[in-house]
Amino acid sequence: MNYLNNNFQLIDLTFKSIVDALPCYVMIQDQDFNILFANQTFRSDFGDKIVDKYCYAVLKASLHPCSVCPVSETFKDKKVHVSEELIHLPDGSASEMIAYSAPLFDAVGDVSACIKILVNVETIKDEHRELVVLGQSIALLSHDIKNILEGLQGGAYVVEEALKDKDRELASRGWDIVKRNITEITGITQDILYSAKKRKPKLRTVKPVDVARQAGQLFDEKASSMGIQLLLELNPKVPAVKIDPTGISRMLGNLIWNALQACQKDNEKRKHLVFVRTDFYDDEHFFFEVEDDAQGMDKEIQENLFKDFYSSKGESGNGLGLMVVERIAKNHEAKIEVLTKKGAGSLFRVIIHLPDKKIALK
Amino acid sequence: MGDKTIKVCVIDDNTDYLFTMETFLTRNGFDVKTASEGKAGIELIKEQRPDLIVLDVMMETTFSGFEVCRQVRSDSDLKNTPIIGVSGMGDELGLKYEKYEDMEYFSPNVFFDKPVDKDLLLAKINDLTS
Repeated sequence: MNYLNNNFQLIDLTFKSIVDALPCYVMIQDQDFNILFANQTFRSDFGDKIVDKYCYAVLKASLHPCSVCPVSETFKDKKVHVSEELIHLPDGSASEMIAYSAPLFDAVGDVSACIKILVNVETIKDEHRELVVLGQSIALLSHDIKNILEGLQGGAYVVEEALKDKDRELASRGWDIVKRNITEITGITQDILYSAKKRKPKLRTVKPVDVARQAGQLFDEKASSMGIQLLLELNPKVPAVKIDPTGISRMLGNLIWNALQACQKDNEKRKHLVFVRTDFYDDEHFFFEVEDDAQGMDKEIQENLFKDFYSSKGESGNGLGLMVVERIAKNHEAKIEVLTKKGAGSLFRVIIHLPDKKIALK
Repeated sequence: MGDKTIKVCVIDDNTDYLFTMETFLTRNGFDVKTASEGKAGIELIKEQRPDLIVLDVMMETTFSGFEVCRQVRSDSDLKNTPIIGVSGMGDELGLKYEKYEDMEYFSPNVFFDKPVDKDLLLAKINDLTS
C-alpha cells in the first residue's frame, strides 16, 4: 500500500470508497503479477490476505503465470487489453469473467503497475448459451417442419390425383400420408411447448397402467405399419399415484417413438419388438420403461443423450424428444436409467417415488 | 428413347416421399420401381437396369445414397445411368453439388434440394433420358 501511496497518490478516502464499492474486482498488479491493491468486493470474496500474493495463485489456483495475460500485454505495449478468463472462486466453483488491464504510468511515462478489472459475465454467458440453443432449435425445428410440410403436400397431391380418378384406394393411401404428418406436427408442437416454457405439472391421482396403456395404444397402428410388434407389460398392482398424466403420456410417447425409429433403422434383424412396461422398482418406487431390440447405442450417443437438441437420427430427429423426457421426469422428481448393449437393444427406465404409505393411508 | 416407357428407380428411406414420387412419376408416364433402403436399392437397380435413378443422398439405412451412387458408378454396366440426387439436408449440411469438384466421391448428374419442384424434376428426367 505504501508503494501505491508513494508512487501514485491516488487513494484518497472518497476515491477508495468508490473503488471498494464497485461490483467488480479491481486490483493493481506489478510486473511480477503481485497484487498490490484489491478493492473491497475482491477482498470480500477472496479474503483480506490476497494483497502481496500472485494474481495467478489467487485467481487461477496456479503456481505459474498464465500463458495469455492482459496485464503482461499491457506492460509490454502500454495499451489497454481485454480477455475472457475463467476465474476459480474460493468456494471451488468457477466463473467466466472479462478482464480489462490498463497501464499506470510513472513520472517518466513508464508502466509502473497495471490496473486490472474483472467483471463477472456468468449470467450474460448463460443467456448467450440459451440464445445459441434457441438458434439451434429453430434451425432443427425448421428442418423438421419443412419435412412435414413436404409430407403434407405429397399426401395432398396423392389425394387430389385420386379424386380426379375417383380412385378410393389411392385416396386412402394419400390420406394416410396426410394423417401421419398431422400426427408428427402435433407431436413436435407438444414437444416445443414442453421444452420452451417451464410448465407446471398438472398432478392427478391416476393408475400408471392406465397412462402407459393409453400411451402405448397411440402407437399401435404406427408400430404395425412399421412391421414392429409393440407389447405392453403392465402390472395392475402398481397403485394410483399423483402424476401429470399428460406429461407422462408425452414422455412415454417420445420414448416409444425413439424405440420404433431405432428398430426401423436396424436392418440386422427381420422382426423387432418394443416393450412398454410399468411395475414396482422397489418398496418405495415404481417405474415406466420402454425397451427395444434394435442396435443399441454407442458411447458417443450415450454421452450426449440428454444434451439439449442432440439427435443421432440425422434427418429424422430434432433432439427435442429426450430433452422433453428429461424435463417431465424432473417435474416428477424421477430418475432416468438407460441400459444399452451394442447389437442387442436399449432400455429407458423412469423411476418415480411411490406415495408414502403412511400419508396415503391418512 | 422413342415410344419405350422410361424406367425410373426411386430410392428414398422416407416411405411417404417414395409413394408420392411413385404416384407422380407413374402419372406422368414413367415405369417406376421403388426401394426404401440403400442395399435393396442397389439390388433393384441391378435387377431393373433403369433409364434413370432418383436417389436420396442422406438415407439412414445400411447403404447411404453416397454409397449407392458409388456402387452404380463403379459397375461397368450401370455407370452411365443418369442419377438425380435429392436431399432434404442440403441447406443444413451445406451440401451443394458442384459437378466438377464433387465428382470423385459423389457423382450424380444433377442434385436437387427437397422439396423438389415437380416440373423441374420432370424436365430434368426428360432431358437426361432423351
